[in-house]
Amino acid sequence: MNFAIPDMAPALPEMFVLGMACLVLLVDLFVSDRGRGATYVLSQATLVGALFLTLGGTPEPVVTFSGTFVRDALSDVLKAFIYGVVFFVFLYSRDYLRDRGIYRGEFFVLGLFGVLGMMILVSAHSLLTVYLGLELLSLSLYAMVAMQRDSVLASESAMKYFVLGALASGMLLYGMSMLYGVTGTLDIAELSRAIAGVEDRTVASFGLVFLIIGVAFKLGAVPFHMWVPDVYHGAATSVTLYLGTAPKIAAFGMLMRLLVDGLGSMQADWGPILVILAVLSMAIGNVVAIAQTNLKRMLAYSTISHVGFLLLGVLTGTPDGYSASLFYVLVYAVMGLGAFGMILLLARAGFEADRLEDFKGLNERSPWFAFMMLVVMFSMAGVPPFLGFWAKLYVLLEAVRADLVWLAVAAVVFSVIGAFYYLRVVKLMYFDQPAEPVPLQAGADMRVMLSANALVVLALGIWPGSLFALCEAVF
Amino acid sequence: MTAEQFFFYAFAAMTVASAAMVITVRNPVYAVLSLVLTFVASAGLWLLLEAEFLAIALVLVYVGAVMVLFLFVVMMLDINLARLKEGFIRYLPLGVAVAVAMALMMALVVGPEHFGLERVPAPERHGPEYSNTEALGRVLYTVYVYPFEIASVILTVAIVAAIALTLRRRPHTKYQNPDEQIAVRREDRVRLVSMKPERRE
Amino acid sequence: MLEHYLPVVIFLVVGLGVGVVMISLGFVMGRRRPDAEKLSPYECGFEAFEDSRMKFDVRYYLVAILFIIFDLEIAFLFPWAVVLEDIGLFGFLAMVLFLGILVIGFIYEWKKGALEWE
Repeated sequence: MNFAIPDMAPALPEMFVLGMACLVLLVDLFVSDRGRGATYVLSQATLVGALFLTLGGTPEPVVTFSGTFVRDALSDVLKAFIYGVVFFVFLYSRDYLRDRGIYRGEFFVLGLFGVLGMMILVSAHSLLTVYLGLELLSLSLYAMVAMQRDSVLASESAMKYFVLGALASGMLLYGMSMLYGVTGTLDIAELSRAIAGVEDRTVASFGLVFLIIGVAFKLGAVPFHMWVPDVYHGAATSVTLYLGTAPKIAAFGMLMRLLVDGLGSMQADWGPILVILAVLSMAIGNVVAIAQTNLKRMLAYSTISHVGFLLLGVLTGTPDGYSASLFYVLVYAVMGLGAFGMILLLARAGFEADRLEDFKGLNERSPWFAFMMLVVMFSMAGVPPFLGFWAKLYVLLEAVRADLVWLAVAAVVFSVIGAFYYLRVVKLMYFDQPAEPVPLQAGADMRVMLSANALVVLALGIWPGSLFALCEAVF
Repeated sequence: MTAEQFFFYAFAAMTVASAAMVITVRNPVYAVLSLVLTFVASAGLWLLLEAEFLAIALVLVYVGAVMVLFLFVVMMLDINLARLKEGFIRYLPLGVAVAVAMALMMALVVGPEHFGLERVPAPERHGPEYSNTEALGRVLYTVYVYPFEIASVILTVAIVAAIALTLRRRPHTKYQNPDEQIAVRREDRVRLVSMKPERRE
Repeated sequence: MLEHYLPVVIFLVVGLGVGVVMISLGFVMGRRRPDAEKLSPYECGFEAFEDSRMKFDVRYYLVAILFIIFDLEIAFLFPWAVVLEDIGLFGFLAMVLFLGILVIGFIYEWKKGALEWE
């Protein structure tokens, strides 16, 4: 039997995160509720350590584990941002979870296993690892949403998420089996070679449609978006924060691995499908968000519209388009962190702060954080010179360059419509009277990091070049 | 028709028929039992493909364990059958239209014209000494070691999730410990106190 | 190699035949005079108090789910045991890691008290 032992060094970050997640699981068993800080510190140390391991890797792409694992620039950038985003998620969530009585080790353990799932997903080089990574991530997310067991809303949304998620996984698996039937391989590089040689692409495009459904569900693109508002609304805000940021980065990685690395030669087939998804997402996301009175639901619809923009870059099928989309998803994750972080900042025991009216008169309660929220909202709306503006500009430019001018015009129209509901939040903060002028209660670490988060949005908005250069270097 | 074809069509017909029964029978317990039959019949199909280990695993794991859990849930849950059927007629036309459209498209796309044996190679036949379990084992723990370890991580997450979601301490439950009850000694229960005789005043 | 399965097929046919024949014989020849009392559920001589479906404690499911997880783990052990001599030390260590990860889940389960029945 000929089998060479694979080079395991590229997967060092994965092994580290796995080992640490197991360690956190065990340590948490032996600490009391008062010693839970140890779990938290260990989880954060895991993310920091994984960041160093990822950045310390070799620059050239490596495929190992018999073609099931790949480490390249794309996976490194996505992983680094996933660690960073989850670091902030854990930090913002601590007080909130403690106030709700769900400050348990499982939140961090499942969060870390979710991170591992995302790492596997963005480093996948085989349809098998794509599917397993996705399942690992999804399983952790379902459990995290359901963790607030005494909340009817959370249980309901976990149920919806689980049933629809299982359906989407089934679709994805069916599409993968079709592709395997046509090409006889699961390896993404071989798949791409084999597909290029197939003359009758009918079955392959059939499988492709199911593949796209699976990815669109994970991203939350219309018409596979029905779970997004309910789950965002029903889950505890800290879980929503996790759910709405890092997995989007991973889903982008999955999109790139499957459609670009695997089925790049079928761009003529998947491009138009993504056009439909993009237009519908931008339209429905932006229009329906206006009618929302709950901030979490509003941000959920805003996510849907951002996914539409994200797809604009990918559907062009050019490396420049991919880097514009990569830039968009990273920017979106940072902005989403800020927006959901603000809800966590205002929340306190017995008070969720997730309705729009809870933000009334924030300027009188805390001018500094009202300004931070203003930065995040302006950025999400795409007002220059904030970060979100550049993200939108780059994908629009790529759409125009790909001769999709009508699509770019539609995107601009919808984003102008969308600006209304972001600006409404700003209006509520600055021109309305607070219902109850209570000072903010959040801890110092939360205040400092949330300010840093918003300032990053501001600073990168003024100097977007470095982040964009990073995204361009990937493709 | 060769014997193999005969068995293929027999198992395939059984799979389709029992799968249709899963979603049409009124009693949920019958639905679960039909699902068991579906799995058994598909195990038969896998057997025809010489994937014996997978066929046995399907019967052992799905029929033996997962479906028993299903039955458990269905029999014990308080399902209101009348409410489940609400809106059935209302959504029926749309559902039928979608189903017919899907079936037509799938027949067009994955029919013999595009997906037939001339286009896609048939799986090769092995001799009588071929063991599917060995073939699977040779690659599963070496070539596919990375997905294999991920599978164990997924199982661990399932353990953590199941426990985190369902385990609840009930501090107020009163229960007996027969072991302690039997092992009890007189000294544990009865204390002899010597006290002065009290005088009635 | 499918000819190996001939005995299994014969067994299936005979088993199915015996089952079908016995039930249909009873169905055809048996006397059936159903009435409402005969068809109603029998509960120790008095009227049934409630529907037979009732909510059960979620702990039953927990035990069942944990069983399924370890059942799946066992399914992975069979091919490994068959080819252990071929796959060498690497294959052995792969299974050690696989089991090790699950043992950590098991420790969690044990320490949390999921195996205790209060």
